[in-house]
Amino acid sequence: MPKARLSFNRRAAASLASAPHARKLPAMLRLTQILGNATDPDIAERLHALEHDGRVESITLDAADTARKRLRVATDKGTDCAIALARSESLANGAVLLLEEDRAVVVRMRETVWLALSPRDLAAALDLGYFCGNLHWRVRFEGSVLKVALDGPRESYMARLAQHLADGRARLVDEREGG
Amino acid sequence: MAESAEALVAAAPSAARVGIGGPVGSGKTALIEGLLPLFAARGTSLAIVTNDLVTQEDAERLQRSGLIPPERVVGVEAGACPHTVIREDPTLNIEAADLLEEQLRPLDLILIESGGDNLASTFSLDLVDYWMFVIDVSGGGDIPRKRGPGIVRADLLIVNKSDLAPHVGVDLPLMRKEAEGVRAGRPVLVTNCRTGEGLDRVADHLAHDVLMES
Ligand SMILES: Nc1nc2c(ncn2[C@@H]2O[C@H](COP(=O)(O)OP(=O)(O)OP(=O)(O)O)[C@@H](O)[C@H]2O)c(=O)[nH]1
Ligand SMILES: [Mg+2]
Repeated sequence: MPKARLSFNRRAAASLASAPHARKLPAMLRLTQILGNATDPDIAERLHALEHDGRVESITLDAADTARKRLRVATDKGTDCAIALARSESLANGAVLLLEEDRAVVVRMRETVWLALSPRDLAAALDLGYFCGNLHWRVRFEGSVLKVALDGPRESYMARLAQHLADGRARLVDEREGG
Repeated sequence: MAESAEALVAAAPSAARVGIGGPVGSGKTALIEGLLPLFAARGTSLAIVTNDLVTQEDAERLQRSGLIPPERVVGVEAGACPHTVIREDPTLNIEAADLLEEQLRPLDLILIESGGDNLASTFSLDLVDYWMFVIDVSGGGDIPRKRGPGIVRADLLIVNKSDLAPHVGVDLPLMRKEAEGVRAGRPVLVTNCRTGEGLDRVADHLAHDVLMES
């Protein structure tokens, strides 16, 4: 088994050298491993030192995109990154993809925004649950509140919910405003 | 020592997994047939998973095509709504891709064709790293305006059968512009899988976005 994997590496190296684009010398930064998390004590220490000199670059991802094993993204400093991981690896908030003397790259997960809906009564609750399921929305149940993850623009979710909100079957609960 | 060497090889990147979705007959299999020679010329090691309702129709078609060794194609029978096996429970497809990867190592790319579905179908990112959605002009120029999740959210939208535009009265530049309008900057490509027009650009996108070749 390891033999096959080693031949993968040799082949990758060979194909890289002979690639037609090789001469263009792209400024692409290849990131193929998760070295740890920014919260691991020894990593945190090294990041802290690098941060002082502004040498920590971050890649901001939506929660949904962290499931990908391959991503072409730019860091906050504009570095073009090619992330290619083994399927056993998982991107997460704080994942450290590069940790060198003079530079580090860390993943920052964008926090999911949730739309909190309160159904009017039992009948409305059944109706709302069926409706959201039918649209394949990502949801969470919190007591009598149904939370819908905004995986797209807020307006498109509001447009689909317009009827439910208009006739009072559901009501928006805005926790930030203490509603 | 042995342990750290093992850790290093174990972290070798897996093959890229790319989904291809879209309505029935839009040209998903034709797109794969058009891409195969291009990737062969680029030296990309490739395998395919197809999904059909209750047959192996597309898998057999590709196996017979002469464009790829037959053992590099696996057909999964969805047995249910096509989107079920690419989104709600992609286990069957994940297993098929894992199997291909194990048997055909080293592999650069696995294409996963969904069974023909409607405009709402999307891929789970647990299954693929990137997905394309193929529509065709004969479905009507107003299709992009209908904002199906497949059209809005796919990493790459392909408008196929450009050759048919004049025959079905579709203003192709307008259709493309409207498609771009609902996709928040994500790319839209126009293809003709009959002649191969535009397919090199599709291959370029995959080479850049998932194969990380340039
Ligand atoms: N004129 C024209 N015909 C095309 C083009 N691409 C595909 N076709 C034809 O469209 C029909 C359907 O193509 P397929 O590739 O089988 O479509 P598909 O999306 O794989 O279909 P399902 O897997 O059944 O959903 C076939 O007859 C193709 O020859 C194109 O660019 N132009
Ligand atoms: Mg097909």
